[in-house]
Amino acid sequence: MVQIDRSGDPLGDILNGKPAQTRPGWLVQLPLPFWAVAFLLLIMPLIANNFWLFQVFGWSFILGMIALSLMFLAGYGGMVSLIQMSVAGLAGYMVAILGTSGMAEISLNWPWWLNIPVAIGIAALFGTIVGALAVRTEGIYTIMITLAVAAAFFYFTRQNYGIFNGYTGFNRVLPPPLFGVNWRDPVPFYYLTLGCAALSLAAVTYVARSPFGLALQGVRDGPRRMAALGFNVTAHRIAAYTFASVIAAVGGILLVWQNSQISPGTVGIPVVIDILVIAVVGGVKRPIGPFIGAVIYVLLRTFSPDVLTAFGLSTERFKTLIGLGFVLIVFFSPDGVLGLWERWQARRHKRRDPLGDGGTP
Amino acid sequence: MTMTTTDPRSLSSVASGNALELRGVTKLFGALAAISDVTFSVRPGERRAVLGSNGAGKTTLFNCITGDFLPTSGTIRLFGEDVTTFPAHERIRRGLRRTYQISLLFGGLSVADNVYIACRGVSRARFSLLRPRRSDPLTARAAELMEAVRLTEVQDTLVSELSYGQQRQLEIALALAGAPRFILFDEPAAGLSPTERRDLVAILNGLPGHIGYIIIEHDMDVALRVAESVTMMHNGRVFKEGTPAEIESDPEVQELYLGDGSHSHG
Amino acid sequence: MRGFVSRNPVWSAVIVLGLAILLWLILSPWTSDMEALLGRKRLFLNALFGGITLGALYFLVASGFTLIFGLMRNVNLAHGSLYLLGGYIGFEVSERSGSWLLAFPVSFVIVAIVGMILQNQVFRRMEGEELRQTLVTIGLSVVLADLMLWWWGGQSYTIQTPDWLSGPAQVPIVVGVNRAGEATYLSYPAVRIAILLAAIVIGVLMWLVLNRSRLGMLIRAGVDDREMLAASGVRIQWVFLAVFGFGAGLAGIGGIVGGTFQSLTPGEDTRFLLASLVVVIVGGMGSIPGAALGAVIIGISEQMGLVYAPTYSVVFTFLIMVAVLAFRPQGLLGRTR
Repeated sequence: MVQIDRSGDPLGDILNGKPAQTRPGWLVQLPLPFWAVAFLLLIMPLIANNFWLFQVFGWSFILGMIALSLMFLAGYGGMVSLIQMSVAGLAGYMVAILGTSGMAEISLNWPWWLNIPVAIGIAALFGTIVGALAVRTEGIYTIMITLAVAAAFFYFTRQNYGIFNGYTGFNRVLPPPLFGVNWRDPVPFYYLTLGCAALSLAAVTYVARSPFGLALQGVRDGPRRMAALGFNVTAHRIAAYTFASVIAAVGGILLVWQNSQISPGTVGIPVVIDILVIAVVGGVKRPIGPFIGAVIYVLLRTFSPDVLTAFGLSTERFKTLIGLGFVLIVFFSPDGVLGLWERWQARRHKRRDPLGDGGTP
Repeated sequence: MTMTTTDPRSLSSVASGNALELRGVTKLFGALAAISDVTFSVRPGERRAVLGSNGAGKTTLFNCITGDFLPTSGTIRLFGEDVTTFPAHERIRRGLRRTYQISLLFGGLSVADNVYIACRGVSRARFSLLRPRRSDPLTARAAELMEAVRLTEVQDTLVSELSYGQQRQLEIALALAGAPRFILFDEPAAGLSPTERRDLVAILNGLPGHIGYIIIEHDMDVALRVAESVTMMHNGRVFKEGTPAEIESDPEVQELYLGDGSHSHG
Repeated sequence: MRGFVSRNPVWSAVIVLGLAILLWLILSPWTSDMEALLGRKRLFLNALFGGITLGALYFLVASGFTLIFGLMRNVNLAHGSLYLLGGYIGFEVSERSGSWLLAFPVSFVIVAIVGMILQNQVFRRMEGEELRQTLVTIGLSVVLADLMLWWWGGQSYTIQTPDWLSGPAQVPIVVGVNRAGEATYLSYPAVRIAILLAAIVIGVLMWLVLNRSRLGMLIRAGVDDREMLAASGVRIQWVFLAVFGFGAGLAGIGGIVGGTFQSLTPGEDTRFLLASLVVVIVGGMGSIPGAALGAVIIGISEQMGLVYAPTYSVVFTFLIMVAVLAFRPQGLLGRTR
């Protein structure tokens, strides 16, 4: 059985009358560094230039959200699903198809308050159906099945011109000018993505400790036992796909707005794998992991070309870099960089106080 | 399948009022019959021991009753309702519980968390995305259960750090969560010390009168002290039924089971 | 076989009927009504035989994948990269030596060695951790794809078919009757027939090794119960090494075959990885006959789709996979656990 990380499970606190009960739980659990980072992120537009706001942070938050949906399934449900990028892409496609785009022949020009919820709904439905197929088998098969479906989705968007406009896809897909703001301007876009990312992070953290989230973790560790306690194991797993798909769908819509276009390349296999890399490199045990992974990925992606060219290598070699980094992380730290950090903390802690408990075992 | 009536609440079984009714239950693994043509019934509140040597089909019988496997043929009725093809969780919601011989506990969670999850399993809020409030009645219920199986003192301990005997007690607590009406105990005394066995007998005898159970047990001392009726199984078939006294004095049973000392293992 | 018929009389009848119709479609001359409905017979037959040949190629690649998966529970997502690597090596060898046949053993051995290094240096260190092993293969596939792009560039390569196999061969199947009243026969590229025959030979050999040899017995025992095999004193690492090497080598040979009757470009690795996944999901995970069945089904459906509904050909493959997962999640010939 997998050890459930205690610090991520304050159910014990809730049940056992620990101090968490006297104040609202979420206030107590957030340590000082969290507030520092939150403050820094809020005032970021005062510090950073537009490129950083839009390209580095905006993109990181979006990729982080899509990877977060994978983290929820993998970390809490034990299901490594590679369909999350396709779900996000479908949501993006739906916004382009139902809303407004440069492809006037296909786009239906629905108002934003209709096309966004419907797009999220369709994407969540798609994720749920794929989940329902994937949970019919166990464990390692999930990767195979979801990868196969993701690839089929990519080939389909490339072949189909009636709905997905084939190879070209859709351009000029823009966020609605709500409250008179152009949400694609760097500062509004930064706050939009920051807000969505923070909300989904909070939602995942909260749900992980709800009865549903706890049951999901129970299903991960002991499906037979959970069935013997009255839980419908299959339904819990499928519901987890639905929940994760909603987060991925929101990320997908933001991604379309950021690029202002979507095409089959957006949902290609390399991108599907990048999402997995981001989640695993960041760490799939904590909801914050995928965001850390996303920042690392975006930084590498943005700045490694300069470094590579300095060494006389083609910028394409970026992929080797990412791939090797991923292999090394999987090799040495199954919990991603977050796991590395925790181990380092634990060792430091131990050195200072030989009798103290050394963090996570 | 052989029943003439298909109404799940057919009059005959409601009238007979059995908690559990098996008719001709057979489970084949390939060509091998783990249990064949098992027919017996248990009244509500009745406490029965199922005895038999290893390989007699006792655990397979439990797995068929709880829905871990579907039987190859035969019908299983729970409180008058035909549950033969129901998935495991549907049977649990009808008041059936079981303990496992092998430990299937959540080792990374504390005792309290394990019991709390079990309480949730049969409540309506299984899919709730909202966290439990402080006044959640289920937390009180979980505390009661831990009290009942004498685990209150270790409620914050991780299950993986519990002693073997305590893990067995926790198994029982999980089976008692929700509102059980009928429990299947799969060798609860296996591996326990004499003191722990005495505790176990006290816990079982202290269960509310409306809860019936079937207990698989190799230890005759335990089995005969907690059961009011006994079913002997042999080679996957029901071999004898009777009161503990009848079974103990039955010469055939003596020859087959008691005489060869096989009850000491396990 | 007899057991299947007695257990599923309806399905058996459907399968027999379907095969009979197919055989009739292949052998009988088509009437003009049928041609109006289904198009020219030549088109149909070309799609069918193209599908079977493609199936043979898929089988070569997927059988190695399923063998590795069945024994080690390791989804080797770098399998497509091994395919492409084998193809590139085969291209280099046949270009430099001028011998198409020589490319096969060379490519098999080199890719098998790469596979054995992977098994020995990477997977062995994560014994029993299937998920981590699979994640590592993803990382490796990214790295390998990029390194191959570096070395061989983005252009497309085709391996030259040797003279003795180039050109068409006549197949004794009537495609139509010409004006003079003589039957015309289907002609088909000889190299594809050779590939089909080779795939059948390899498949039969694999079956024989698995079912008739001591190594095969060990492998099958390992598929059923790894712990038991390890506990029985067999040096399971050698079995793993042999299977991984063989499975990788097959992917390498597949690369030559694919490079001969299609082409080698970056991205083909993903395509063949996907094909292997789908074939194995449809046919049954870990089963060699399942891989053969799945490969033929997917190959034919792809070619038929290309001929009859070009914009939706992927959908057919996808629908077959979904249907199998929905009704028989363990795959057509897979075993329930």
